[in-house]
Amino acid sequence: MKLVTAIVKPFKLDDVKDALSEIGLAGITVTEVRGFGRQRGHTEVYRGAEYTVEFVPKVRIDVLTEDGEAKRVADAIVEAARTGQIGDGKVWVSPVETLIRVRTGEVGSDAL
Amino acid sequence: MSLLTFIVLIFVGAQFRHHPGDRTGDKTGTISDYQSAVGNDAKQENVEISQVGVNQLASNSGHLGVSINFTWTLLTGFLVLFMQVGFAFLVTGLTRAKNAGHMMMMNITSFAVALLAYYCVGFAFHFGGFAAGNLGGTSVLSGIYPKGNWGLIGTHGFFLQSGHAYDVGVMALFLFEVVFMETAGYIIIGAIAERISFAGFLLAEVAIGAVIYPIYGNWLWGGGWMANLGKTMHWGHGAVDFAGSGVVHAIGGWTALALAIILGPRIGKFNKDGSPNAFPGHNLGYVVVGTLVLVFGWMGFNPGSTLGATDLRISIVAVNTLLAGCAATVAAIAWTNAKWGKPDISMACNGMLAGLVAITAPCAFVAPWAAVIIGLVAGFLVCYGVWFFDHIAHVDDPCGAVSVHGVCGVWGVISVGIFADGSYGAAAGGWNGVKGPVKGIIYGDGGQLVAQLVHAAGTFVWAMAITFIIFTIAKRFMKIRVSEEVEIDGLDMHEFGALCYPDFVLATTKTGGHAPETASSTPGYPPSAPAYTTEPGGGSGGTFGGGQS
Repeated sequence: MKLVTAIVKPFKLDDVKDALSEIGLAGITVTEVRGFGRQRGHTEVYRGAEYTVEFVPKVRIDVLTEDGEAKRVADAIVEAARTGQIGDGKVWVSPVETLIRVRTGEVGSDAL
Repeated sequence: MSLLTFIVLIFVGAQFRHHPGDRTGDKTGTISDYQSAVGNDAKQENVEISQVGVNQLASNSGHLGVSINFTWTLLTGFLVLFMQVGFAFLVTGLTRAKNAGHMMMMNITSFAVALLAYYCVGFAFHFGGFAAGNLGGTSVLSGIYPKGNWGLIGTHGFFLQSGHAYDVGVMALFLFEVVFMETAGYIIIGAIAERISFAGFLLAEVAIGAVIYPIYGNWLWGGGWMANLGKTMHWGHGAVDFAGSGVVHAIGGWTALALAIILGPRIGKFNKDGSPNAFPGHNLGYVVVGTLVLVFGWMGFNPGSTLGATDLRISIVAVNTLLAGCAATVAAIAWTNAKWGKPDISMACNGMLAGLVAITAPCAFVAPWAAVIIGLVAGFLVCYGVWFFDHIAHVDDPCGAVSVHGVCGVWGVISVGIFADGSYGAAAGGWNGVKGPVKGIIYGDGGQLVAQLVHAAGTFVWAMAITFIIFTIAKRFMKIRVSEEVEIDGLDMHEFGALCYPDFVLATTKTGGHAPETASSTPGYPPSAPAYTTEPGGGSGGTFGGGQS
């Protein structure tokens, strides 16, 4: 099994969700997160004093998939989340050692 | 079915179309109402036309005049009372979420504590020697020390009892004036926010309600020496301050300045080189709502200061007030846009308040065009003031209280001496007992400007001096500022045992929102430290440079 994790622009969440539904994903987990990348936020002025908005709000999406599905899922997210502008985010895939469904105790692919 | 009901209703309604109501208002309030107002005594209904009848008519008319003035004064007082809501939203929105409970607690407490202080001694110091003609029976307030034109302090009305002050007129005056004092009491909250201890705050409110505000107020409104400079020094009508640009706002603003200096800046506000860091307020929505509530309350603050609706100048006062507030908002938006690249939301709100503060003294004496100019100048002044106190004076004033109320209050006082156009102030023997209307220097009375300058300087000297004296002594006996740990954590839990927003995780850096150094200047920029660590002289050098004074 694989864990596909994506950091995307918040307003792209619906597009990504729709794209994942289309390829038949059973479930995703969404988290509101903040962070910075190469741009390191941006500078604004508040009441005459400059400050840097260090952490830009993003949405993190976690998807568990079968090994063979991971690339398709990642590609679907990349396709749906891309605007071509700075700050579009990242997608990465990592291996998952164990997976257990809480309700039934099923383990591995059965728990997907 | 419903159509039928509708037709029936119209039909029934039409049956009553000739019911003789008073549609123009001409028939309401006539001699018949006069007789019913006189009383139920049937004998009086047929008073002959005679001296007795005329006296009764005159007495009834006098009663009605005072009644309408009571109604006006009380209702506008209630409007001013509502300004408390505006201030609470304004100052809480302009500060950080971790201190929101503390800000709200200060607002509710200041109200109660300062009101009681004013009731005990403040009112007597302020109005102990002042008889308000519009309110009829306040002639019991006739004690001022020293007697004559150089009065310094009132002496009747302690606990609303001494000197026969248990009186309807005195109570109406008290209600209206105590909410004015409360305004000065809230003003300081903006400048002392996020670091004053609760004990220090209580002392500040007692001082304002009992001493700082009332004594200065006596000099202007209680028959004291500044109001009499026209009689004694022949400077115009003496110091004129219609609704309190100086008495209320400048006194509040300069007291706030003194307290901000005594307390020192918030941790992390200034870098080692003195440059300021921004601590963005946590809810700009509160700031805008609060500002608009204040605008509404100001419709009581200024027009109500006639102490009577029989003075029809109230319409001009109200319109001038709105004009100045709006002109100042436009000026502030333009200034921030030109200077800082974007219009600043919180400064637009400060601009609105700056205009209202500035027009508060001249609102009854100037023409609408002058109100617009006074507002425009105030809008620029407040922006410059906020910049000045941040970048030059290095005084930490989180909500701009000093710039809004101190700087623009003084401007308002001075503007009377410039723009007063001679159309008001001549009634009943003249303003402050000097014959003729109030005129500014451009209408030919330079003396008026001199009196206004004395008043403007007076607010600064008195409020700064008395506050420094009180708090320099108090610092020896009590802790007026919270500890560094409490300040970094947020004051809510440590001071009051409860958070304003317990359901939210407040993800903050040490300074509460944004690391002070720009990331590009800090290679290997570390992720923000947890909010609760307080390593001395910590990772982002200079963060604690401000510290306590």
